Amino acid sequence: MTDQNSDEQHGFHRHGDNAFVAEFSESEREVLINLVEQIIELLGERTDNHVDDPLAAMVGITTHDSPPEDEVLLRLLPNAYADQVDAAEFRRYTESTLRAKKYAHSMSMRITLKSALDGIIEVDHEGANDWLGAMNDIRLALGVRLKVEQTSHEELELLAPDDPMRGVYAVYSWLGWLQESLIVALMDEAI
Amino acid sequence: MVKVDDKIEEAIKEIFSGDKPWVTIVWDDPVNLMSYVTYVLMELFGYTREKAHELMMKVHTEGKAVVSTGSREEMEHDVARLHEYGLWATLQRGDQAL
Repeated sequence: MTDQNSDEQHGFHRHGDNAFVAEFSESEREVLINLVEQIIELLGERTDNHVDDPLAAMVGITTHDSPPEDEVLLRLLPNAYADQVDAAEFRRYTESTLRAKKYAHSMSMRITLKSALDGIIEVDHEGANDWLGAMNDIRLALGVRLKVEQTSHEELELLAPDDPMRGVYAVYSWLGWLQESLIVALMDEAI
Repeated sequence: MVKVDDKIEEAIKEIFSGDKPWVTIVWDDPVNLMSYVTYVLMELFGYTREKAHELMMKVHTEGKAVVSTGSREEMEHDVARLHEYGLWATLQRGDQAL
């Protein structure tokens, strides 16, 4: 886990009982839309090891029970058991539901962003939870690509200016800060 | 002479371990924010801020923590909800070594 200092001046704020508001510049809004759309695309149907079975699909059973081959997708749809046989069985019955729920979080975030032409985002508690889940999925995905498991924050801070990962790390850090501001705003009411 | 193999031994163990033999474990990972883990535990399990914070700190310092206990079905439900919010969670028998 990581600790994030949230700047009280920006990010999300609580407005009244059940509204959380943030203002984004046009470029920030574009970055967020772009990221969330990539997660939406990633969460679309898996193409690896997939055999269509319409009847199984109707009742939410997927025909694949192997973990995703893509590292990012594997982090978003992880195994529930250490035991591979149990993990495969669980995945067969639950992966499509998990995928649909994550998809719904991201779609909710996308819709708010798309309709906020003035850059002002307002969400209620439920919408805020969608945003948190979706932002977290984006951070998990970026984290896999940045190899945050193996790399220290100090090393990431020292990436060369022309290294594209430097920009990715900046976006990753900004999202962490934004997520933190929303959590702080939500926790206010929980006291 | 009664023969007790591992499976029977396991079944007997389960009878005596009460009706809550499964656990949900949350594992530490470098991406999830500490505040986010606390918030998700409060939202999903209705834990107080103190309890959620305590569990989060256990995950952070010890690498993992049992966040809920119950039947296998209940724990599968909990793990699925934790995965929905991106926490790294697994379930296992409570008597298995952590």
